[in-house]
Amino acid sequence: MINEKTVHDVLAAAVSTGAEFAELFAENNSKNNISITNGIVERANSGTDRGCGIRIINKERVIYVYTNNMTYDNLIKIAKEGAAAIKGEAQHSITVFNRLEGISAHPVVIMPNTVEKKRIVDFLMRGHSTAMAYDSLITQTGLSYLDSVQDVLIANTEGLWAEDKRVRTRISVSAVASNENEKQTGYFGPGALQGFEFCENTNIEAIANEAARCAVTMLKADNCPSGKMPVVMDNGFGGVIFHEACGHGLEAAAISKKASVFTDKIGEKIASEKVTAIDDGTIPNKWGSINIDDEGTPGRKNVLIEKGVLKTYMTDRYNGSIIGMAPTGNSRRESYKIIPVSRMTNTYIAAGTDKKEDIIADTEYGLYAKYMGGGSVNPASGDFNFAVSEAYIIRNGKICEPVRGATLIGKGSVVLKNIDRVSDNLALAEGMCGASSGSIPVCVGQPMLRVQNITVGGRG
Amino acid sequence: MDIKALKDRLFESAKKEGFESCEIYYQSGSSFTVSIYKGNIEKYQSSENGGFCFRGLYKGNMGYYFSEASDIDADKAVKSAKENAEVITIKDKEFIYEGDKGYPKVNVYNAALEDMTAEQKIQIALNIEKYAKEYDSRITVNKSMVASGDSYVYICNTEGLEVSEKGNHILAYAEVMAKDGEDTREKGEIWIGTDIDKLNTREIAERACKKALSALGAKSIKGGALRVAIENETFADIMNCFVNSFIAEDVQKGFSLLKDKRGTQIASDIVTITDDPLMEGGYATTAFDSEGVASRKKTVVEKGILKTYLYNLKSANVDGVKSTGNGFKGSFRTAVSTLPTNFFIEKGDKTREDAISGIEYGVYINDVMGLHSGANSISGDFSLAAEGLLIENGKLTRPVDQITIAGNFYEVLKNIDTVCTDLKFNSSAIGSPTVVISSIEVSGE
Repeated sequence: MINEKTVHDVLAAAVSTGAEFAELFAENNSKNNISITNGIVERANSGTDRGCGIRIINKERVIYVYTNNMTYDNLIKIAKEGAAAIKGEAQHSITVFNRLEGISAHPVVIMPNTVEKKRIVDFLMRGHSTAMAYDSLITQTGLSYLDSVQDVLIANTEGLWAEDKRVRTRISVSAVASNENEKQTGYFGPGALQGFEFCENTNIEAIANEAARCAVTMLKADNCPSGKMPVVMDNGFGGVIFHEACGHGLEAAAISKKASVFTDKIGEKIASEKVTAIDDGTIPNKWGSINIDDEGTPGRKNVLIEKGVLKTYMTDRYNGSIIGMAPTGNSRRESYKIIPVSRMTNTYIAAGTDKKEDIIADTEYGLYAKYMGGGSVNPASGDFNFAVSEAYIIRNGKICEPVRGATLIGKGSVVLKNIDRVSDNLALAEGMCGASSGSIPVCVGQPMLRVQNITVGGRG
Repeated sequence: MDIKALKDRLFESAKKEGFESCEIYYQSGSSFTVSIYKGNIEKYQSSENGGFCFRGLYKGNMGYYFSEASDIDADKAVKSAKENAEVITIKDKEFIYEGDKGYPKVNVYNAALEDMTAEQKIQIALNIEKYAKEYDSRITVNKSMVASGDSYVYICNTEGLEVSEKGNHILAYAEVMAKDGEDTREKGEIWIGTDIDKLNTREIAERACKKALSALGAKSIKGGALRVAIENETFADIMNCFVNSFIAEDVQKGFSLLKDKRGTQIASDIVTITDDPLMEGGYATTAFDSEGVASRKKTVVEKGILKTYLYNLKSANVDGVKSTGNGFKGSFRTAVSTLPTNFFIEKGDKTREDAISGIEYGVYINDVMGLHSGANSISGDFSLAAEGLLIENGKLTRPVDQITIAGNFYEVLKNIDTVCTDLKFNSSAIGSPTVVISSIEVSGE
């Protein structure tokens, strides 16, 4: 992408005014996407993003310059411009780069650029036909496919030279059920750190049926009642609650500013004993996995909370250094246009020992949230909100009628302590997480669990 | 990037490959951002960036290809666009537009902004932090930021269209935290514009502080169906989630409940909604859309009656009408879709104070959370975590949080009984005055 001499000279220019550290991140990201609405191929697009960013760190100051004019002269010019924001004498220089080898832990079988577009369209069309055939109430479908092959080069003034290839594939399936007055949507968006073999191994019919079933069920459902009640959240995307309400608060970017309720809490009990939470970037071919993070640190499995006790934060180089912690392999960014910060990879609550059936049977009255929608959180207060995309009332230990339009609100620190049942059926689900360093692929996950008393907002 | 040389290479290659017509859309810009934390520069960023999109009609289908690299092999780019065109099955006619006779003059570029130095911008961010810190001892400033940018768009095609537009803007932002014991509240205030003389650092700082301080001590209330006033920017944020239903493409595909509603009452008769790309100082002001159609002002809803959907060339052709000039791209990477420009509810005749004084018991909502998940853009259903102030006997009495407001956007439009004079735009160029909704489901303790 950029030759060694250029990288060397650019980094030297970046620290020429005395900065402690400089890093170059270059990428070439080739993408394809296809979208099908109601069985008609409406859009197919492909292209390439390519550019380079130079980050200069001096004490607590961060300077960032980026461009997609990657000529030697221009890169030197912008490195000097960035360096001009610091006034001093050059402290050091790099003599030799150490190449990071053997980092490819997530094999790819079928590279996206070898796949004929027609094959992708045929695959998606199977999902469309299945969803339409599910029920006469299904009136629309939307399917999409996207792939990206991101080649990166990361080099820094400490002599790091790391190259990585990240191949990702994702599909989305949505089905809309309608009656005269309204519409409800069922949606799934699975993906992997893989090539087209992900599609070959995916049962799109099963996913389309489930999306259609969800939409039809919610169309027939009554409005969710409101009030405080126990909530049983099922596995998989239910883990978004931990991601939003706690995960973001354990990122060093929030901790270094003391803008998280979990600041200075390492070693303290912050959750119920039933809760062990993990961020694991090493799970083979998982959507949120990485070979190396965007600072060149290899992906790791980090136990964040063990039996309720806070063990570690997720760090990046800059925020980690402020709070005195080494990088944990969590520094991530959407692209060369954004500075990397501590972010999650695949984050989940570990399996417990309770049985799914017992948790339901043990709940006299409450809400069963089968599928969660998205949500957000204010890291300072820990206030969160989540939409529930498919929910049922639990009455006398049995799952009863479906209800729609439910929102869960509360504080992450409180909910963590109120988890009183954790089952053994751990599952992970894919999503895109948006935060200060852009939109990145992550997995959320959990087994079925129960939280005592969450405020449920609904219209019923 | 020598865009004209690239254009010639692409057009020549497209002709050889059998494209009937084609177009290049080029976008470039530079940006500068500085953020201050505790009196020091925490982040300092500058960039220059550009990219192009090639698209063309091949056997009646539109194929796309984009790239940030200008040294790209033109033949490969065109081949890739052709492969994309070949899988398209949509029957609606697509257009490469020959252009309009004339284009309106808009004021989106301010030379004075170009002349501002990095030091001047840093000083603005420092001032914002200083004013916020001075405002109240319970305030800490999480971030004060200034960002400026300029952009250039050039569209040229084989049908005779050749247009370009240059613009710039500056943005200032304050994010503060109010702390009282264990109670912490984080709020922000943003200002965007091209007219540097209108940037008031003290006002930005104070607004952010007031928001955070007024939330201290907030607690929930008992729920029920209540009369609710929703603050201008907050209602604009809510409206932003449902703006898709006004877009003709969504209506034609059956994704909008406003289908077949043209000419009918869809909102209270005090609600008029306008889409105005020519508005002076608007964040979405432009002389032409991404298809090269000249901009014009449209009344979308007039006194509650739906007058028009928003169209691009393709959807307008389907309905047999003229494009409203809303055929925009999110960026050069994406295909042309339809987007609103400066889209807003026209201001009404009551001051905010008058509106509140008319509410015996209710809530004044000034923040909602969870818009990307708690609002269904198709059904109109929403259930959102909300914050604000309690209204008792026409007065704001105490801060409220840990509540949700739930309802349906289309019902809410019909239940607006007061529109205030305080029209304000959010950062997505959606605008609203403060509005009062006669009844909305609030859930709390």
